[in-house]
Amino acid sequence: MFQNLMKIAAGLGVVACALLPATGASAQGKLKEVLSRGKLVVGTGSTNPPWHFRNEKGELVGFDIEIAKIVAQGLFDDPNKIEFVNQASDARIPNIVTGKVDIACQFVTVTAARAQQVAFTVPYYREGVSLMLVAGGPYADYAAMKAAGSKVTVSVLQNVFAEKMVKDALPEAKVDQFESVDLMYQALNSGRAQAAATDSSSLRYYMKQNAGRYVDSGYSWNPQTYSCIVKQGDPDWLNFVNVALRESMTGTTFPVYKAAYERWFGETPPEPKIGFPQEFR
Amino acid sequence: MQAFLDQLWIARWPLWEGLLLTIGSAAGSILFGTLLGVIVGVQLAYAPWWLRLPFRIYVDIMRGTPVLVLILAAYYIPAVAGLSLGPTQAGILALTLFAGAHIGELIRGSLQAIQPGQAEAGRSIGLTFPQLLAYVLLPQAVRSALPPWINTGVELIKGSSLLSIIGVGELLLKTQEVIGRNFMTIQFYVFAGILYLAINIALDQLGKAVERRVGQH
Repeated sequence: MFQNLMKIAAGLGVVACALLPATGASAQGKLKEVLSRGKLVVGTGSTNPPWHFRNEKGELVGFDIEIAKIVAQGLFDDPNKIEFVNQASDARIPNIVTGKVDIACQFVTVTAARAQQVAFTVPYYREGVSLMLVAGGPYADYAAMKAAGSKVTVSVLQNVFAEKMVKDALPEAKVDQFESVDLMYQALNSGRAQAAATDSSSLRYYMKQNAGRYVDSGYSWNPQTYSCIVKQGDPDWLNFVNVALRESMTGTTFPVYKAAYERWFGETPPEPKIGFPQEFR
Repeated sequence: MQAFLDQLWIARWPLWEGLLLTIGSAAGSILFGTLLGVIVGVQLAYAPWWLRLPFRIYVDIMRGTPVLVLILAAYYIPAVAGLSLGPTQAGILALTLFAGAHIGELIRGSLQAIQPGQAEAGRSIGLTFPQLLAYVLLPQAVRSALPPWINTGVELIKGSSLLSIIGVGELLLKTQEVIGRNFMTIQFYVFAGILYLAINIALDQLGKAVERRVGQH
């Protein structure tokens, strides 16, 4: 329901934009506007670890937050010159279209349909679905579970595509759907399910929080790409953000990206190879 | 239970801030909404038709639209006109417009329920219309408008939870943030529900106390 209402709101926004072509559009371009304002306005959420959530001190933290800080560092040489605008997932595109925020970094999955409405930056993570098992449990890895066929039960967060998602990897497994994350993990802990299937990033973060208790099955599927989004029609701004993000994965600011990756996913990303730029291979 | 209490203790300040913002945004919108509602109610009851018409249209649009749509409209429509409201400002604006229409309608009803003889008597002793309103009509209208007015207050407390959708850090969003971190879904939603219930019961009792005082005259 919220999604549809957001669409209505976005629709109203688009209509109003069409009626008022001159207002709100900055003549000087977003990059100059942000620089003269002295802070970056970033749209993100506050309820999804390890991407964007509040820690026990109430501070906004997570991988999306670190990505936003990389952009702010590039703008002001200060990662903290950011105003975060808290937004629901459904508000990501409307808030960009109506100019509420300069950029949104909120695990936005890149799709061609969305690219018609907003401009995507270069990607900063590739999400997938993974299977988490209890360490020392009945099955050691993905191959063992696949061999066990219908004896395996997989716990998963309730959603329309959940059944199909699990069957894509384990065609014969039984699927138990749960309405909240804690119940999904409880099913695994109590032995009611032998594996929990959810976003790879969530599992990595959870395994890092509970070191030694769980193992990854070694198989991931359902790839989807995460990028930040900006408003269409301002190539200088898009290019600036792209440079800031790309260099954090391949160039001078790689240590910042690497530290964030290790902190939230408990893994080290591959080092950029020195010599020929590997992205042109 | 111990684990829940530990997490509750850790989250006490964010939840407290959320509670204050819930009460604050509801109180702000009921205050502004009441001021607006009295004007609207008087116009609906006494203005000539051409002046009454815009107020009637306003009331009907506000009462016929879901609060959530009003909140989204207050957040996005000013933005494209070049006036960017923060989420809390937009939220209070939406709730105020909503409350103004509802309170306007109940003030109108209360004014029209007063015996015509009261206004006639006032006029016959030479009161001007503002005096008539201030000394004769509104004091009587307040008495019958009070119970539904408290009802509107309760609606606003509950309606303020919808502000979480535009990112206002009120009680519901703060609760969701805590759940996002510790996954104690059921415990913290029940806790938030108890807080909403406590606020509304307190408001109800306050209303009853005021009603008893006003009713004594």
